[in-house]
Amino acid sequence: MKQPSMNERGLKEVLAIVVFTVLVALFSAAPAFASDPEKVFKFYCAQCHGLTGKGDGPNVTKDFPVSPRNFTNAKEMDKLSDADLKNVILDGGPSVSKSPMMPPWSKTLTAEQVDGLVKHLRGICKCKGKQG
Amino acid sequence: MRLSITAIFSAALLLGAASSNPAGAAAGKDVFEAKGCGGCHYTEGPAREKTIDDQLAKKGPELWYAGSKFQKDWLGKWLADPKPIRPMKFNNLMQENTGGHPKLAGGDVAAVTDFLMGLTSTEVAAGKVKPKKNPKGRQIFTKKMPCSGCHQYLGRKKKLSGGRSGPSLVEAGLRLNPDWILAYLQKPKVFKPVKMMPVFAGLLSDKDMLNVARYVANFKPKKKK
Repeated sequence: MKQPSMNERGLKEVLAIVVFTVLVALFSAAPAFASDPEKVFKFYCAQCHGLTGKGDGPNVTKDFPVSPRNFTNAKEMDKLSDADLKNVILDGGPSVSKSPMMPPWSKTLTAEQVDGLVKHLRGICKCKGKQG
Repeated sequence: MRLSITAIFSAALLLGAASSNPAGAAAGKDVFEAKGCGGCHYTEGPAREKTIDDQLAKKGPELWYAGSKFQKDWLGKWLADPKPIRPMKFNNLMQENTGGHPKLAGGDVAAVTDFLMGLTSTEVAAGKVKPKKNPKGRQIFTKKMPCSGCHQYLGRKKKLSGGRSGPSLVEAGLRLNPDWILAYLQKPKVFKPVKMMPVFAGLLSDKDMLNVARYVANFKPKKKK
């Protein structure tokens, strides 16, 4: 049986290192992009809506005057269009005749962050929302 | 006689008002560094946080404007006997804050208080906010832009009310400089460029922010008659 030459072995090792490096780069970069809206959600929204979006953040004590929206409730979330979600994030609950306990975030979040949040909420509810 | 008592009283007030005690502040800085306080609190401005990650990397609140933010009496007492201000741990929505901040003792208390009270911001205008009962401020705080959603306070009949993600504002009038409360609302990017609290500047008028600052600065125990 023919043994691989030193050159062939060296080439294989270099290839293995390159493949490993590319895989590490891919796997470490992907979550960073994918998790950005999630990071924004967890930082700003989770205090009322909970880290998983069930409406159970630490602010929601028994005295909390309203129930923050449970984003996992696809039936309710389907009643809202993406534009509705964007409006309520930017201008607060009263902009859609809901509670002012949802404050306006228009001076806090960038347009990109708001768009990312809308997509993230659709990921949580696994629903497309009202179309048109 | 009355004149001399007044003069002595005025001199004492002036001495008290001069919060910086250079010798004490220098000693306090040494204590602050020796005890490793800088591991959790940075003391040189301006604010460094630019991203959510920057904010989440911090282990404790920044103190570079502590002298503009806190009241000296409160700060000294707190350093000697720290009680949790936040219901939840810093930068954490899952874990209760059970305390455990290191205590200072003896001369270290006054020295570190002097050091921190010397860390001021020129962005806080003095003498703008007089604490007082303020129905308009109360209406904004509890209903219009409900600060109460995230901050605890004593509501009607002294009932502990409000949310838990932000620092408690119970007796905030003893802890916070009223003028800082207003400056914090008006210039959020100066003090905390990245924070969980919404920016209200541009949404509330200056007058409404003044009303809120007056209302919050009045959160203190009633004086016994």
